[in-house]
Amino acid sequence: MKIPLRQPKFLGSATFYMTLVVAAVFGVFIIVLFGFIYGKIDRYLIARSDGVITAQINGIIDLPRELIQQAVDERLRQDPRGVQLAAIFAADGHRVGGNLQNMPPDLRIGGPAQAAKIVRIDRNGGEQQKIRAIARRIDSNDVLVMGRNIDEASELTLVVSEAMALGLVPGFCLCLVAGAGISRRAQRRVAEVNERVQRIVAGDLHERLPYSSGTEPFSRLAIIVNGMLDEMEGMIRALEGVGNDIAHDLRTPLTRARLILERGLSHATTLEQLQAAADKAIAGIDQSLSIVTALLRLAEIENSRRSAGFGYVAIGDMLREVFDIYEPIADSRGITLRIGISSELAVLGDRDLLMEAVANLVDNAIKFTPEGGRVDLELLREGHETIVRVSDTGGGIAEQEREAVLRRFYRSDKIRNTPGVGLGLNLVAAIVRLHGFRLVIRSGPGARVEIICLDQPDQDGEAQWTPATAQAVSPVLEQAS
Amino acid sequence: MSTQIEENAVAQAAKQTVAKVLLIEDDQETAEQITAELADHGFEVEWSADGIAGLDKARTLHPDAMIVDRLLPGMDGLTIIEALRKERVRTPVLVLSALGAVNDRVRGLRMGGDDYLTKPFATVELVARIEALLRRPTESRDTIRRVGALELDLIERTARRGERVIDLLPREFRLLEYMMQHSGQLLTRAMLLEEVWNYKFIPTTNLVDVHMGRLRHKVDGPGETSMIHNVRGAGFILRTVD
Repeated sequence: MKIPLRQPKFLGSATFYMTLVVAAVFGVFIIVLFGFIYGKIDRYLIARSDGVITAQINGIIDLPRELIQQAVDERLRQDPRGVQLAAIFAADGHRVGGNLQNMPPDLRIGGPAQAAKIVRIDRNGGEQQKIRAIARRIDSNDVLVMGRNIDEASELTLVVSEAMALGLVPGFCLCLVAGAGISRRAQRRVAEVNERVQRIVAGDLHERLPYSSGTEPFSRLAIIVNGMLDEMEGMIRALEGVGNDIAHDLRTPLTRARLILERGLSHATTLEQLQAAADKAIAGIDQSLSIVTALLRLAEIENSRRSAGFGYVAIGDMLREVFDIYEPIADSRGITLRIGISSELAVLGDRDLLMEAVANLVDNAIKFTPEGGRVDLELLREGHETIVRVSDTGGGIAEQEREAVLRRFYRSDKIRNTPGVGLGLNLVAAIVRLHGFRLVIRSGPGARVEIICLDQPDQDGEAQWTPATAQAVSPVLEQAS
Repeated sequence: MSTQIEENAVAQAAKQTVAKVLLIEDDQETAEQITAELADHGFEVEWSADGIAGLDKARTLHPDAMIVDRLLPGMDGLTIIEALRKERVRTPVLVLSALGAVNDRVRGLRMGGDDYLTKPFATVELVARIEALLRRPTESRDTIRRVGALELDLIERTARRGERVIDLLPREFRLLEYMMQHSGQLLTRAMLLEEVWNYKFIPTTNLVDVHMGRLRHKVDGPGETSMIHNVRGAGFILRTVD
């Protein structure tokens, strides 16, 4: 299987688009900011001009008529930059003195400073200007107009735009470059990871993702994925081992069946001999099938979830039933089977599965106990635990074998010749796991296996049927009559 | 296979009219083997390879029993049973399946299948189950069961063979009761485990044989003719002494 991965150029990558969007938002923000600054400064300049001309006109308006005329002339003379504007108009509108060609038409006399359009006259001739101006009536109906050029403001506009261009364009370019760089880098790492992943998919389970340090997010992700890969590699290796075991265990009886059939075919001289061969062959095939059945059952239990079918199981009754079933079998092999129930206890679980687990343990114990031995089936309570214990006087399970017996198909060398599939304890372990219980193998005179059922927290307020008085009471073992 | 069962089956078939069995199974090889085996035991077999045709045959032929595979082309085996049960057709059905899961089994039976057999199976097992389905015990109000000299009191929980009282443990009583219900029929170990011990799994030890040995020891006393017979490789039969 190949993992499809488009390899877009960095221009088409999501990272690059993100950078573009951020750059655009940033640009808009800068423009708004500059606009705001410009507006503020513009208004400030106008207010200042207005203040200046108001002060000027207030300074001379109360002077006698001739002095006003003189003051205006003086002012215009001492203005090398040519920003001063002033004129006196007669009541009929003609100019008495100053540098304005005529009275601005919409200028209100006696009002505050306002914008006006005028034509300025000087030695070079007339020039149209936009100014701030103020008009006051002096005696004999003449009007004094004073103004100030605000061309400074438009110069300011130019400066602001220049500053903006200087800041914005390189900034935007920098954004693009950074975006392209980052997306290219990410792209390269994804490509690299993809290459490694392809190798893993192709079966190279040792391959791992590259990482540089533990702090960078990409590296951290790679470390996490590598951890997962370690785990999976281990599981796959374990599975391979199980596969080999299965193949071996299936092949043995099948090989036997094949040999028997072959020999029957070539050597049998009577129908009875052929039938006997066929019977033996069928037994071999049945053994293979029982292995398959046991494996499927195991898989089924391992894959099932805690089902809604769980209920309170009266463990004592269940154990008595197992005892009833196995007592004759133990008896037929010269083994004493005893049962001891300290008190009636219940656990939350699936009765059929739990019975299967206990039956398997008893079955095992009987199988591995020599004649004259004893198998004890006990139910006891210790603290918050309900314990089902199956102990026998057989060979026991060696310390180093305790974990191994829970592996599939594990059969101790000592017992290789005892018939069985070798999946019994696996099945018990799977059932115990499904219930959230614990399976413990202890040392004893013989083998001692315990299923430890921890009390379930009450979920739906249903009272749990476990008498609190039953604390670590050793059960009295009894034999069947 | 033992000739005893064949004689028994042939005798049974001769007694009644020939029983008609409808087999719905898509694998031709399996179907041929089953057909041949059932024909040997005196059944008349109709075979259908897909679900829809099978359902049609079930409606028109009125078979005495049906064997239905679960996974079929056209229509799922359980859907066929469901359809028939809705039409109040009560023909006993044996469901065959490669799915051996307990939950599947429960579902199969709930849908109205009467028995369930997981592939692969022994043909002896299949025939025994079909015979059991065809001769389901009639609901009897009688609280005393009799097979030949054997007598079982279901209220008093006592057993006698002629004048001799047989002392039985509860489980042995249940085993004998089941065997008397199905006297003259071959009962396989799997059938006994399911019906008498309510076991949903096959134990590794010869559990049934040990229990049967004890029961046999009690039922067939010294000097008495055996009633419980072991059919080698197949199971057990309780038969009247004639």
